[in-house]
Amino acid sequence: MDLYEYQARELLAEQGIPTPEGIYAQNSHEVAEAADRIGYPCVIKAQVKIGHRGQAGGVKLAKDRDDAVLKAEEILPMTIHGHKVSGVLVAEAKNVLHEYYVSISVDRASRDFDVLATANGGTEVEAIAKEHPEAVKRLHIEALGDFDIEAARAMAREIGFYHADVEQAAQILLRMWRCFKENDATLVEINPLAKIGDPDDEASKTLCALDAKISLDDNAAFRHDGWKRFADARSGDPFELRAKEHGLHYVHLHGEVGVIGNGAGLVMSSLDAVSGAGEEQGTGVKPANFLDIGGGASAEVMAASLEIVMSDPQVRSVFINVYGGITSCEQVAKGILEALDQIAGAKPIVVRFDGNAAAEGLAILAASHNPNVHVADTMEQAAQESARLAAEAKEDR
Amino acid sequence: MTLFIEDGAPVIVQGMTGHQGMTHTARMLKAGTNIVGGVNARKAGLDVTFPAARDGEDATIHVFADCAEAKAVTGAVASVVFVPPRFAKDAVVEAIEAGITLIVVITEGIPVADSAYFVELAQRRGARIIGPNCPGLLTLPSTPEAKGCNLGIIPDGIVGRGPLGLVSKSGTLTYQLMGELSDIGFTACLGAGGDPIVGTTLVEALQAFEADETTKAVVMIGEIGGSAEQDAAAWAAEHMTKPVVAYIAGFTAPEGKQMGHAGAIVSGGKGTAQDKKEALEKVGIRVGRTPGQTAAFMRETLAGLEG
Repeated sequence: MDLYEYQARELLAEQGIPTPEGIYAQNSHEVAEAADRIGYPCVIKAQVKIGHRGQAGGVKLAKDRDDAVLKAEEILPMTIHGHKVSGVLVAEAKNVLHEYYVSISVDRASRDFDVLATANGGTEVEAIAKEHPEAVKRLHIEALGDFDIEAARAMAREIGFYHADVEQAAQILLRMWRCFKENDATLVEINPLAKIGDPDDEASKTLCALDAKISLDDNAAFRHDGWKRFADARSGDPFELRAKEHGLHYVHLHGEVGVIGNGAGLVMSSLDAVSGAGEEQGTGVKPANFLDIGGGASAEVMAASLEIVMSDPQVRSVFINVYGGITSCEQVAKGILEALDQIAGAKPIVVRFDGNAAAEGLAILAASHNPNVHVADTMEQAAQESARLAAEAKEDR
Repeated sequence: MTLFIEDGAPVIVQGMTGHQGMTHTARMLKAGTNIVGGVNARKAGLDVTFPAARDGEDATIHVFADCAEAKAVTGAVASVVFVPPRFAKDAVVEAIEAGITLIVVITEGIPVADSAYFVELAQRRGARIIGPNCPGLLTLPSTPEAKGCNLGIIPDGIVGRGPLGLVSKSGTLTYQLMGELSDIGFTACLGAGGDPIVGTTLVEALQAFEADETTKAVVMIGEIGGSAEQDAAAWAAEHMTKPVVAYIAGFTAPEGKQMGHAGAIVSGGKGTAQDKKEALEKVGIRVGRTPGQTAAFMRETLAGLEG
């Protein structure tokens, strides 16, 4: 789960990492109130779970109250790179003297935690890594290791923080690590970690997290009751939300062939097969969704899945691909027929069964004599057939 | 020795008395796996009978309080873990501390920090972890009299012994390719798991198959997310003498969306199926467009070896 900037700031602030004062606001009235409290000039920042919002016009400086409201009214209705803006953060404007970049993330390859940092921030870390790879430091924190203030100091020096910043940087690194660990994060990124203050007054200079990105490990939700406050019902896809209620993995892909299968890999493979068939047939038909019914699915689970997929108005045909391991194809067949009894406005279904109780499942489907149920021998054939049926149904309309 | 375990080696099941544990222990026993105990502190001392599960006879399996006791009494070398996510870390750590050397973690939904912890602990103690979030390890017996090991949830009876090795990030795609190549047969099928951090990577599986004299060629099934396939390509190019044929799932997966498996996600343009395919093909590993084509490539490869 990715957090909005204003939520990520909360988690950093909980650990005592300095952030500029900021207030989340969702309408002009709230923005005016927030801006008055923050003072002027202030920054109006789009809250959206995608990068590059600055270039897209999602971050603006406001000099007074009217300006703040004006800027917020420009930003609030925006959709940035396909993501609707959920609100704005009204934050103190800071005088930036220097920018660092620091992130902690799960390192899949080394199977521990990765600290990526550069003392020459300001642009994108990926761009810096390309042009000046020596300027980006990649350090590790071991899963069984003891990352303490000494280790953090050594790391701050290695990253190349200016001498005057090392002590505060070490404190921030240590607190970032605590934030990462205590919150079961998969990413904690501060970009920029800025040196702010009056250039002529040494005592006023300090490090501050001007922007932050945090992702949390969904698998750890069971030990974080507080995460309920991050639930984001408004911006979610309605089909994805419904599938989630049934405990199903669903991803909306907006094509024409609904895809249901057991096991994430087999469903991904089925999506690829449908796309391939659409290309080969010259129709450009694409998969409408990813839906994994999981292992050992019952007839009820199958029926609920089919009902969700068929309720998508873009869906013209459905491809059901089951390799029965624990899952019984017989149960799946019962679920398909159960769902078809309930659903008005039938769409063609192509079924491919293999493995556990495949013959029994196919016999149940055959006995139903339902004209909308088609059977294929292999997943390749099923993908071809479902793509063809979807293209036909599209033309008929 | 086939892959990581001897034929007929003694095995315990952690979480045996749960629903998943009961179902799959019965299956594993029927497949000939030498299961010698279950572990559950709250049900210690119980004897569980699995009807007609061992060569048609009833199998009675004792439940031990912990892995240390189970190992001391039975000499178990391997454990299969069906413990729910919130207790999984403690269960795996317990197995490592007890000196179990092969731990197959089936559980899906373990926090990645917990997996990072027990994987690193296992590395330090010289134990091997397979998974988590995997279908397990199936080894086929190396002689007609011997019994292989079915550790996990891979269906029994799809394949027999043959010259192929298989490693996969996905469960059902494992079964799919096993089915496609069932006439040829396998030495072992290993589910590496679909989580971001796993105990046995694709590279480590290739290393094991390379070292196993009876394996002649390897099927590798990857999917979007991370760089395990690229790492495998790089390792194979340097060290692998046996042919590898690969399949990658998820070409149509959109950026930033988790496709079922916790680890199956393209982020920041990294971990795409296309990148993986290119990395593999660059070192001469053929990548099938579909599971069917992958199986066909493997047949051609084997024919080439014989010719």
